[in-house]
Amino acid sequence: MTLIARRLAGHLARGFVMILVVATISFFIVNNIPGDPMAARYEKLIEGGMAPEAARQAVKVLYGFQPDGSLWQQYTDFMAGLFRLDLGVSVTRPGTPVLDVLTDAAKWTVLPVLAGTLLSFLVGIILGVYAAVKRSGKLGDALSISGSLLHGVPQYVLALLVVMIFSTLLGVLPADGSVDILYEPGWNAGYLGSLVEHALLPVLTYALSAYGGWILAMKSSVVTVLGDDFILAAELRGMKRSIVFRYIARNAILPLFTMLALSLGLLLGGAVFIEKIFNYPGLGWLLIGAVNDRDYALMGGAFLLITVGTILANIVADLFYTVIDPRVRSGEEVS
Amino acid sequence: MSATLIPETGSAASTLRRNFWQGVWRVMRRKPSRLVGVVILAGFVVMAVLGPMLLPDPLPNDPTAITRPPSWEHWLGTDPQGRDVLALVVTGSRYVLLTAAITAVITVVVGTSIGLFSGFKRGRWDTVLMRLTDMKLTIPGLPLLLVLATVWRFGSPWQMGLVLGLLGWGGVARAVRSQTLSLRERGFIEAARGLGLSTTHIIGKELLPSMAPYIAMNMLISVTGAVYSQVGLFFLGVLPYESDNWGVMLNLAVFQAGALITPNALGYLLGPLLAILLLTLAIVLVVDAMDEIFNPRLREE
Repeated sequence: MTLIARRLAGHLARGFVMILVVATISFFIVNNIPGDPMAARYEKLIEGGMAPEAARQAVKVLYGFQPDGSLWQQYTDFMAGLFRLDLGVSVTRPGTPVLDVLTDAAKWTVLPVLAGTLLSFLVGIILGVYAAVKRSGKLGDALSISGSLLHGVPQYVLALLVVMIFSTLLGVLPADGSVDILYEPGWNAGYLGSLVEHALLPVLTYALSAYGGWILAMKSSVVTVLGDDFILAAELRGMKRSIVFRYIARNAILPLFTMLALSLGLLLGGAVFIEKIFNYPGLGWLLIGAVNDRDYALMGGAFLLITVGTILANIVADLFYTVIDPRVRSGEEVS
Repeated sequence: MSATLIPETGSAASTLRRNFWQGVWRVMRRKPSRLVGVVILAGFVVMAVLGPMLLPDPLPNDPTAITRPPSWEHWLGTDPQGRDVLALVVTGSRYVLLTAAITAVITVVVGTSIGLFSGFKRGRWDTVLMRLTDMKLTIPGLPLLLVLATVWRFGSPWQMGLVLGLLGWGGVARAVRSQTLSLRERGFIEAARGLGLSTTHIIGKELLPSMAPYIAMNMLISVTGAVYSQVGLFFLGVLPYESDNWGVMLNLAVFQAGALITPNALGYLLGPLLAILLLTLAIVLVVDAMDEIFNPRLREE
């Protein structure tokens, strides 16, 4: 238990540094924007008859830092705001704090990503075992190739194909937005049904794009375990095939759990494409919109939140590994 | 694999090389699909190098044939300006492949040097470099690119390749380091050190050649990554439209020509889509073949 606590402390410290780094990156990007949007807005407010002090305050609220202070002063202002969870105010949504916009969007990213990943994980590991055991056969080969291909195809190509097939050609599922606006939001069947209906295709795309990776990872993991001595020993002792098989599966699946946590973090970043194509109002969709509208506070915030999600997933992955892998648990260094 | 590690004399080396190519040929012949991969890949390179030279610049537009479905005259139809989609795919391939090549070179040079240095020297530098690498690997790449799109002009393949390469070496560095760690404990490296050979000699003559296939595979994988990210960035519409790139075509097809709704613009969408799929297929097949050539354990029968 102390080992876990120690590792957790180390991770939290590192995660904290990472967040500072990423925040610094977004600060300097906003600060280096050609044309200096802050100064422009400041000038505009003054021209509009606002007093300099009020104009400075208004710009500070918008961007999180002083428009005309020294670079260091601007930076400390920005960071101080960050610690108060004050990420500034969105320019395109006047009056709404960036944090509120982000927390509202987060659920539209996290739930579908979670559903798609778990679905693909389940299907992938089951088929992966089969592909490993029957790797010389036709079906096993076909499974591996389907895995490589799906793993190789970019997410946006998959998403477009899914829309083309299910929405354009068959017309069975909607491919736009998160819910039909005709329904009253709340716990009623129509609204919930519409939510599920709109989530199906994005979830399917997440699942399809991740499935290839799982089948390949599980296959290679099982192939490695198959060569281990204890399997041979178990077979020589005349154990039942089904028991041997359980040994194999249990040992092969351990490293995949770590990958599962990691992939959740990576998918948060990859959600950008799927959310753009399905017009799904999650974090990625928000980020693209912010980049296009040059809504810097929102852009920095979305980038930061996606990074924090990734860092958290990494920490969870490593702790998980510490718990399940006896070598790490005994303090042995695994590199 | 260890047989190819130490080319002692000239003649032995040439025999080894011949054996290697025989191995390559055997793997290729056992599954002809892999040969297909190499052929498609070569086709793409030829298309990117020669294609734009053979086509007029700018491409002729035909105001009477705007956004047409595929026909005999235009195999993949025309775009909203009446230009032939197939020709657009060909001119677009140059940006895509050039960027991929630049990215691959930067990724491999930076990643290999850092991985080798880190794994070979160990100690404090190793810790610092790997911390940095991990940090870089944790920052989500695509969102970072999106944010960078507001300050950096991605207009030319060189600019795009530079950024993608500088963001992409982390994986290669990690892979090369772990490979170095396992190789440096092997007999032939210890022998070389015992003989008092210089570090540059050990790295250049002993370590690198035995890792070359591994690095090559990682390079191909980074090429795929580079293709996806750049096409994806253009597709998302956060970059200026002036470049010829499949991503620009995809974006215009989906979000402006409404290719998902009207069958007229379908060719405009299918063109770049098929190009990406084919390129992916080719790279997957080649990586698969390389995997089997360099990783004898997979060659079970």
